[in-house]
Amino acid sequence: MKRTFKAIAVGFTSAALVALSLVVVPTAANANTPVCATVGGIKSCQGRTSDGAVYALQAPLNFNGTAFLYSKGYRPMISIPGRSDVANSSLAEQAPGPDAATKVAVATYLLSKGYGVFSSGFSKAGWNTDSALKTNVELIGIWKKEFPNTKKIVAWGESGGGFMTQALAENHSNLIDAAVPLCMVGGSVEAALKMAGDALWGIKTFFDPTIKGGGYSAGTAGVVEQLTDIGKIAAALTSLSGAVATGAWPATATAVPAAVKAAVPSRSAVTLVGQMAGLPNISANIDGVTGPGDPASLPHAQFVLGAAPAIATLQNMQDAAILGVLLVADLEGINGGRVFDNTKTDYEVQLGDAKAIYNLALSGNDAADQLLGVLKAAPRETADPAALTKLRAMVSHKGVINVPTIAMTAPFESTTPGGHVQWLINANKANLEKAKTAAVAAIRAGKPRPSTTNNLMVIWNFPPDKYTTFTSAGLPDTTRPAANGTKHCNYTAAQLTAMAEIGALAAATGKLPNTAQARILMRKAGGLSFDRDFEAALLKFYANE
Amino acid sequence: MIGSFRKKGLAAASAVIAVAGLALTSVPAQASVPGVTANSVKLGITVPMTGIAAPGYSKVAPAMKAYFDYVNANGGINGRKIQLVIEDDRYLPQEAVIKTNKLILRDKVFAIVGALGTANNLAINSRVRLGARGVPSLFVNTGFSGFADKKKFPTIFPLFSSYAMEAKIMGNYIKENFAGKKIGLIVQNDDFGVDALKGFAASGVKFDETIKYVSGTQSPATALTWVQKLVAAKIEVVYLFGVTTATAAAVGVAAQAGYRPQWIFGSVGADATTIQTATTVPVALLNGAISASFMPDAADTSDEYVKFFREVNAEYNKGVTFDNNVLVGMNGGMMVANALKAAGRNLTREGLMAAIESKGSTFASAALVPLAYSSTSRVGYTGYWIGKYNATGSLLPIEAKNVVYTTDSGNGPVVKTTTKRPALPPKGLPQ
Repeated sequence: MKRTFKAIAVGFTSAALVALSLVVVPTAANANTPVCATVGGIKSCQGRTSDGAVYALQAPLNFNGTAFLYSKGYRPMISIPGRSDVANSSLAEQAPGPDAATKVAVATYLLSKGYGVFSSGFSKAGWNTDSALKTNVELIGIWKKEFPNTKKIVAWGESGGGFMTQALAENHSNLIDAAVPLCMVGGSVEAALKMAGDALWGIKTFFDPTIKGGGYSAGTAGVVEQLTDIGKIAAALTSLSGAVATGAWPATATAVPAAVKAAVPSRSAVTLVGQMAGLPNISANIDGVTGPGDPASLPHAQFVLGAAPAIATLQNMQDAAILGVLLVADLEGINGGRVFDNTKTDYEVQLGDAKAIYNLALSGNDAADQLLGVLKAAPRETADPAALTKLRAMVSHKGVINVPTIAMTAPFESTTPGGHVQWLINANKANLEKAKTAAVAAIRAGKPRPSTTNNLMVIWNFPPDKYTTFTSAGLPDTTRPAANGTKHCNYTAAQLTAMAEIGALAAATGKLPNTAQARILMRKAGGLSFDRDFEAALLKFYANE
Repeated sequence: MIGSFRKKGLAAASAVIAVAGLALTSVPAQASVPGVTANSVKLGITVPMTGIAAPGYSKVAPAMKAYFDYVNANGGINGRKIQLVIEDDRYLPQEAVIKTNKLILRDKVFAIVGALGTANNLAINSRVRLGARGVPSLFVNTGFSGFADKKKFPTIFPLFSSYAMEAKIMGNYIKENFAGKKIGLIVQNDDFGVDALKGFAASGVKFDETIKYVSGTQSPATALTWVQKLVAAKIEVVYLFGVTTATAAAVGVAAQAGYRPQWIFGSVGADATTIQTATTVPVALLNGAISASFMPDAADTSDEYVKFFREVNAEYNKGVTFDNNVLVGMNGGMMVANALKAAGRNLTREGLMAAIESKGSTFASAALVPLAYSSTSRVGYTGYWIGKYNATGSLLPIEAKNVVYTTDSGNGPVVKTTTKRPALPPKGLPQ
């Protein structure tokens, strides 16, 4: 029996790999006419939607009638050497995962359980939700035509793909039976733009004012500008990482008065930027509570309270600032002008209680005030009103839950922290309250009662309490793999397949699985928590509303 | 017609039932209140049990638990035994956030009580989002006046008289008693210090030299720079408004340097027991220093509350030396018991907070100053008495007849109060 399973698993793996490595798009394939082949018990099809998006469909011969539509996350418009390749952005990826191996493992698992999997590479990279929504709608039709015995569709996706998943559920709930947004962007892209934009502007202001940060040119010149900015950010962050102990400022920090640089260590400016932008205070290798040496010693406390917030911010900032460059340039291109605007932003208000909580890392109130003074005096970014209007007309969420929805997110992750999902939770709560009021009125009026059932379940991916380790030199080891629950969409295959199973349960019954069922699946996966009462910190974009 | 009437009647009845059902869903039954059963109520506290601030502060939570054990041995409150889950936050904000989340999510506590430290409480409030979750945080162990802002901290109830009140009262005292002297100030460069500076400004006292230090940087080496500045400025009276380690560093270095000003210490940084256990500085160096407190001195066995809490400590907190930290912990426990009693048998989080607002100003407790809770005020204790340390580290009233001053955290006047502290209730139990 074991041998049989193993053989099947190998077959599935091979089939999944074949599909996942689809790069060459069959020129003969047209919309609704996929090219299919059956290998190792898996029927795999590929083709293009009417907008040119490459798609892949896969189902085992014992397809159980439930299929997963996966929407991948944001893929940059440009190639960034050493990070990702734009050529890959057109790939259809069949399942979520922080790396190719996890994606294959998740897709393989689903196929082995009789589920179907399908996805597209979308017709373009960048913030493509408006077009991707149409692509997904068409793709569901293509899937159902190819696999007419389909009974249920579960939509899932990561990051920007989580945003698409929620948008699909809000706008085309008749096409899907459950939604599983993962590490999602919630509400509007402007929320993500603000966090990334604030971080980018903070880095520019404090550490290198030659960073363009916005107003990117069109075409090749714009690509060069973005890559140049990314290079400058990387250089600044590298310099800052090496100066956490000394507090030295990078040579490029020319906009900061010498008196401030003499009085305030650069790590305090790093911490301030992270906190004012709303970046998490823990990161891939920094748990915020572990220090070197005797826990009762002053150096231990000084590391945890004074240095760790800066190191964590540096780790998170790399993702946030680079995303800032890409997103700003992308959204400027889409909307025809500058879209990031901080002319009215009060960074002291955004810093809020962090001034007290991270007081040692900020080197005290006076130092924090000096840094805030630098920000107040610095030139601000002004958006083009017409471009901003267009940005705000792009697809956004209403926070309406039309199908059973199970969201998973890590509250302290670097790019889409829990505040995105918290927005959805809050919007859903408000909608449910309205529905209850409407239900009371409807009943009193003798009219049909609208539904007041909660259909949103949020599963939190908490990092371990402690995971920072130190080198023999007493320095934090930042070379270790990121802890689960940190970085961006850094889930394990077990966590992702648990989410898939919970999504499938919801699709099968038309309602959220009971908590006992969900807890069993979560316990097996590890690192997941269903806590109805947990509240993640709202993003600065929403906290300021 | 009859049929039609019956149909309408049924429909109406259904509507009433359905509406009632909807209404009922928004009113949780007693059993659904987190941490509350028919015969128990579970509370949680985060305090530094280990780490740099543990000496002294690690006694607060066990003392509170000891008082609860005493209450439980005497039947509990409203038929419920009080359970206290103690979590060690090591005086680190992130640890406090993690542990508070655990208290709420894993232990399902009814309320947080006595959470310690300004930064930790700020972190708990903003990162755990107590207000949005409706979780009460009672009688926090910090004097930061900002926690009385009900709009910003809707579920937090401060207890201590604020640092701003202390600074204002002591500012007045300095003006009246050290006119013409050169006055210096050492103050922490954070919200704790901001509160103090606010109070000093309200009193109108002027300092000839102000030294700010960042919490976490205090040491004998930094204290030496303070002393050098104070000596150079010919400062005769030094007010140190900081934490105990700063006090110890300053006093120790000054003594070595032969610098002997009139010391005045903020109430936070002058706990003799903590200085004794956490530093190498002899307590005798405090002799003659002036400070302020809202609590009776832990060594004053003539005080009925102190005497009672000492007895509780001897039986339920065996082996632990009774000191100001134990007194603060037990007094906090008594305040919690008062609140639970006032909230009644039908215990809800909303009801608990409403009970403190409506009856909190009359709660019996050891402090020598009045409480100011009301529907519009989250302010707990409202004043201080002024004392002078003796060679054994006891704070004794500076005036023959102890005078208690009350004020607010703003620009209100400082007045001598004639309000009498409520007598210790029978058996030290809430009535």
